[in-house]
Amino acid sequence: MERTARCFTAAELAQCGIDNLPDELVSNRHLIYSSPATLAFNSPGAEGFGVKRAGLAIPGSVMLIVAPGCCGRNTSIVSELPAYRNRFFYLTMGETDIVTGRHLKKIPQAVEEVVDCLAERPSLVMICITCVDALLGTDMERVCRRAEERVGLPVRPCYMYALTREGRRPPMVHVRQSLYSLLEPRRKRATSVNLLGFFAPLVDDCELYRYLRDLGVKQVRETSRCASFDEFQNMAEANFNLVLHPEARFAAADLQERLQIPSIELTRLYQLDRIRRQYQALGQVLGAQFDDEADYAAAEAALNAFRAAHPNATFAIGECLNADPFELALALTRYGFTVREVFGTVQAENFVFLRRLAELSPETRIYSNMEPTMLYYDAADCPVDVALGKDAGWYHPEAACLAWNSDVQPYGYAAVRRLFEALDQLLCPEGTASDAEEVRS
Amino acid sequence: MRGLRKYLTPFAPDQSGAVSVLYELDGIVVICDAGGCTGNICGFDEPRWHERRSAVFSAGLRDMDAILGRDDKLVGELADAAAKIDARFAAIVGTPVPSVIGTDYRALRRMAERRGTLPVITIDTTGMELYDVGAEKAYRALFDRFATEAHPVEQGRIGVLGANPLDLSTASADALRAALPGAVCYGMGSSFDDVLRASSAEKNVVVAPSGIAAAKLLEKRFSTPYEVFDPRVAAGTLLGDALDALPAGARVLVVAQQVTANSLRALLRERGAQVSCATWFLRKPELAEEGDLRLTEEDDFAELVRDGGFDAIIGDPVLFDIVPQYAGIRIDLPEFPLSGHLNTAGHEGAQ
Repeated sequence: MERTARCFTAAELAQCGIDNLPDELVSNRHLIYSSPATLAFNSPGAEGFGVKRAGLAIPGSVMLIVAPGCCGRNTSIVSELPAYRNRFFYLTMGETDIVTGRHLKKIPQAVEEVVDCLAERPSLVMICITCVDALLGTDMERVCRRAEERVGLPVRPCYMYALTREGRRPPMVHVRQSLYSLLEPRRKRATSVNLLGFFAPLVDDCELYRYLRDLGVKQVRETSRCASFDEFQNMAEANFNLVLHPEARFAAADLQERLQIPSIELTRLYQLDRIRRQYQALGQVLGAQFDDEADYAAAEAALNAFRAAHPNATFAIGECLNADPFELALALTRYGFTVREVFGTVQAENFVFLRRLAELSPETRIYSNMEPTMLYYDAADCPVDVALGKDAGWYHPEAACLAWNSDVQPYGYAAVRRLFEALDQLLCPEGTASDAEEVRS
Repeated sequence: MRGLRKYLTPFAPDQSGAVSVLYELDGIVVICDAGGCTGNICGFDEPRWHERRSAVFSAGLRDMDAILGRDDKLVGELADAAAKIDARFAAIVGTPVPSVIGTDYRALRRMAERRGTLPVITIDTTGMELYDVGAEKAYRALFDRFATEAHPVEQGRIGVLGANPLDLSTASADALRAALPGAVCYGMGSSFDDVLRASSAEKNVVVAPSGIAAAKLLEKRFSTPYEVFDPRVAAGTLLGDALDALPAGARVLVVAQQVTANSLRALLRERGAQVSCATWFLRKPELAEEGDLRLTEEDDFAELVRDGGFDAIIGDPVLFDIVPQYAGIRIDLPEFPLSGHLNTAGHEGAQ
């Protein structure tokens, strides 16, 4: 029997509607295929920021992973990165621990031993627990308070509960709440703003920094740019928070309630007109108008340069990248390119993009990385010039691949400009990049 | 403190060992987890994963699946996958979640076989044991279930048990085959049919403790004799000429999986060395000499080195982080289950 990977066209899915998606595209209705394209789903920490790296976002912090050995296994990779050396410690659990819960009594002493073995006193100890404690119903807040009393340092839980990934507060939401719960009340400063959402900073040339400065904001703070725990604490003085990733929504709500810092949520987009509209809306809320002409023009110039050099470029777009794959597919389609395939998870939030994509490019194929028949995916069925995203690159070894998944986050017009510059560089044979540069200017 | 790790990261767990044995055998392997275990097993412990597709799946358990014990949902999803995928068998591999909720694997197997068309084996790994315990369970389950028919014995055909990337710390069976012509390395460079025809082997060679139980089973069932040694040691492909750095009569500590350690011990003794062996993994009494140690804590190793007066230590490079004061000869022998580093270069040489 011939075996092929199951896919649906954008038109078919738009017709189904979000409430009637085929089982193949709903992850809890089938086994989850394990391939390098699903690694980020199964183990977010294996690449990019998962709970473990995110939990160490505070400068000078260390983490004690209290779990069966299997949960901490891939931490070996992260531990070897210079920024994480000597920051991960483990208290491994056995079956007796699970039955008796004795591991919980050992945690304060383990925290003390970890603190004592370090040359420098850490700023914070994160206790990372996993599915086993989720099932046991462990009250880790209480255990952390005991450990705090013992070492005189903040000790906070972070929950790597893969079991709750599709729940209301999945691990990556909770870890943000846990981190920002460390902020203590401070006097508010009208000239301070926080960017919440990512564990690495925005690209340095992101126009958002400038727009905020033009408004009179003197301090734009992001966790990843804080050099010390004290500097991190200054985030409590913010006048408002800009939420750049939906997973920070709950943390922002906590800050609003606890420290009275209101928040505004923005979305990462690659459609230039939508970016402009979003900035206009933000300006209205803040009572200002941003001068975005130059940024819009620069992004558009990069797009035009790439389009001039590669008018017929065809794309496959994955979900392991710094974009919503359906929004990016829609953007590229609207710019006149052909998007043959999207490897993505269809959700209520991105269905609006999918529906619009279906109008412009009804034959675009939609796959779920996780569906069992992806075992049989064959790139020869649908060759493309460019694979965007690490997962798309894995499916399309024949295509030029732009992973577009750096820790440092592209955002706003800068993201669009940088994307097309990167694509230009990717596809232009050596020596012709300068020609493209001319088109751009 | 027992269980506290300050230098070493967690070792490869039993579930990784089980999947390592099954990975190349054209089965559907379902890891009964929420996703994170599968990420660890495939994304970290399975070096073949990036090169070669295999029907490995996560059950994608969610909290309510675990709380309500929805085995029927898992069985239904397995049957659905089996209808879409060409496979010879299915294996369900345990993790901490089914261990905590007390999953009845026998019932799960029966339900899955009744609902689907494939023979099913279950491996009751827990994520709390080490890789070789899981590999041992997988070999045993595999041969017990599928190596049932007696085939004529083929002269020169050697079955190799314990050959998987975790036990050998290499992703290739080539070095073994070079050292052992006629070798069929079950689970690495061989097929499911080779498992079915296990009785046709003239003898079995066990290259890691994880293979002993299956070798005993095949001996009992088909009278296939077995030997226990690491052919790479005698062939000189494991450490190359690194051992030449040892002075005559040196006191040497070998820290490796038990079969490799024993083979190195035999070789070093021929050269006049005094050898002690220790392992972080399975320590089979029938393979151990008096004084051989099973290490479990970092402090065990620190104490052993401090009190042992060794002129040389053969072991994974990360172990030396525990004993920075050790000034003797270091011969690096990466153990993938320990440090996560493959022994790709064959040997690292003496330092």
